[in-house]
Amino acid sequence: MMYFEEALRVLVANKLRTFLTTIGLIIGVFAVISIEVLGHSMAGSISETLGALADNSFVIFPGSFQGNFARAAMRLSDLSNIVATVPNVSTAVPLGGQRELVRYGHNVGRFTLSSDSNPPFANLPLAYGRYLSDDDIVDASDVAILSWRAYQRLFPGGGDPSGTSIYAGTHRYVVIGVLGQPRQGLLNVSFGGDISIPWTTYVREYVRGDRIFAARFTVRDASTIPETEVGVINRIRELRKVGKDVRYQTFDKGAFTGSVNGVFSAVTILVALIGAVSLVVAGIGVMNIMLVSITERTREIGTRKAIGARRGQILLQFFIEAALLSSFGCFVGMALGLITGAAINSIFIVKLTGYTAPPPYAQALTITLAFVAVVTLAFGSYPAYRAASLDPIEALRYE
Amino acid sequence: MSNPRAIDLAQISKTYKTGSLEVPALQGVDLVVERGEYVAIMGPSGSGKSTLMNIIGCLDRATSGTYRLDGEDVSHLDDNALAAIRLRKLGFVFQGFNLLGRTDAANNVALPLFYAGINVRERRRRALAMLTEVGLAERAHHKPSELSGGQQQRVAIARALVNDPAVLLADEPTGNLDTKTSAELMRLFDDLHGGGRTIIMVTHDENVARYARRIVRLLDGRIVADQPVATSPSFTSF
Repeated sequence: MMYFEEALRVLVANKLRTFLTTIGLIIGVFAVISIEVLGHSMAGSISETLGALADNSFVIFPGSFQGNFARAAMRLSDLSNIVATVPNVSTAVPLGGQRELVRYGHNVGRFTLSSDSNPPFANLPLAYGRYLSDDDIVDASDVAILSWRAYQRLFPGGGDPSGTSIYAGTHRYVVIGVLGQPRQGLLNVSFGGDISIPWTTYVREYVRGDRIFAARFTVRDASTIPETEVGVINRIRELRKVGKDVRYQTFDKGAFTGSVNGVFSAVTILVALIGAVSLVVAGIGVMNIMLVSITERTREIGTRKAIGARRGQILLQFFIEAALLSSFGCFVGMALGLITGAAINSIFIVKLTGYTAPPPYAQALTITLAFVAVVTLAFGSYPAYRAASLDPIEALRYE
Repeated sequence: MSNPRAIDLAQISKTYKTGSLEVPALQGVDLVVERGEYVAIMGPSGSGKSTLMNIIGCLDRATSGTYRLDGEDVSHLDDNALAAIRLRKLGFVFQGFNLLGRTDAANNVALPLFYAGINVRERRRRALAMLTEVGLAERAHHKPSELSGGQQQRVAIARALVNDPAVLLADEPTGNLDTKTSAELMRLFDDLHGGGRTIIMVTHDENVARYARRIVRLLDGRIVADQPVATSPSFTSF
């Protein structure tokens, strides 16, 4: 393809000019791509953290900062009613935590005992032992599953603690399992408490009266969690005989993921804005240098026209030159962006969280090609059109 | 038409408009050039010879009159159609050579073939054949800056002839060359004429014009003389 060869020759012959013209594009694409790479791995590491949450459950608790907080509190008896009446709800368990001084031998720590059920609230892998069984729940057994943090504190010597007894206050629990170390995400949140015990045991030992703070519901169909949440809240209002003024809050993986994604789409919009600004600035540079190039080569264009080049052929030649110029800038920018993004990623995010995301090559390529297309079309068209419209006689006479 | 005339201009007029002012550049020019002729067009500046050259070269259209090039009426064609005519039927040689500086001789010569959509192998073959014809085969891969003025003009002539045009148009072809090189170039034109090419050359240099077989003189937009050159050109007249 002769157009490409000629365009390449022009750009190579003016190396410094080509470089200076494309530096705006290089920086623009570089910025967008490197932020894209970082955002990609941040989002990845956060969704990895969220992965520890069970997909098919949600939590409901009275909204804070309302005067009728006491009226809003759910009753233990409400839960079985909800399971029986609200479609899609399969289980409902009270949720709560109790701070206790926990002791094993001489090792002591203050930990939260939290109610859990089968399947567990957080789907973390087991390091030792087993999860709570249905029998544990039904029997309200005095068994406990330790988080990795509690395990390290109480059993600094390591080893499988299954079967050993620990004391929470004066109450004795038999350790049946240890949860694995959670992947540390960028969001430093942990789901569930330090030590999980059957919710039935929790109610027996720590709930005074019938009131519970929060409840966790599991559903049969995870795709209709938002609708089910509304159903449950309405049912709670009926049971508590309260109006719409009493508010309840929900927490589920989908909504949480959604709000995290919201933050990232805001970042994405910001990046797009930066990109758009640098695109315009760089594009004007490209247009400017193309116009200079065309003025310099007026006689050449006249000669080509005299020889018999049609308008379209001249247009295409300068269009391809603009495309090549912007491709050069954009792809150099992309390469630098990918390298820099990957470097920052491995220094900070991978070291911090242990999470390695594959670089978003497809997105990077798409962004780069979009830049090339926009710059070429928006800023290469006019110079090419000017070149094609030159009058051959005037152009040949141009000194 | 079994054997059309190379150039047939009938009552060609050209008027330039500058605001309300109308400047006549050509006024009713009739000119016929048969195939194989070698014609020089002469005249002082402002005589209209550049305008005539531009019209013959299909770079410009006459205000009135009819122009048949190689039997084809090109008086009313649009820009793209004129470009196609230039590509197929005309070859240009300019005073300043007008070669592409970044491109070697062979690719310069091949340029019209590229615009004609001929494939790269055929382009190369024909460009080399043409360079051989002008005696520059061994310089095919040199850039214009590596060639002398005379060599550059010969590359330009090869480029003008590579598409086998009906007419070779030369605008002051020796204007940038010294006398010795000019004489060499004129010998090349002589050879081309001998080979049957139709050549029209615009010049203000009598010595150069005498190499042609016929001299057409313009003054104030009209042909004032149209005579064959009596004697054969002498190479020592420079």
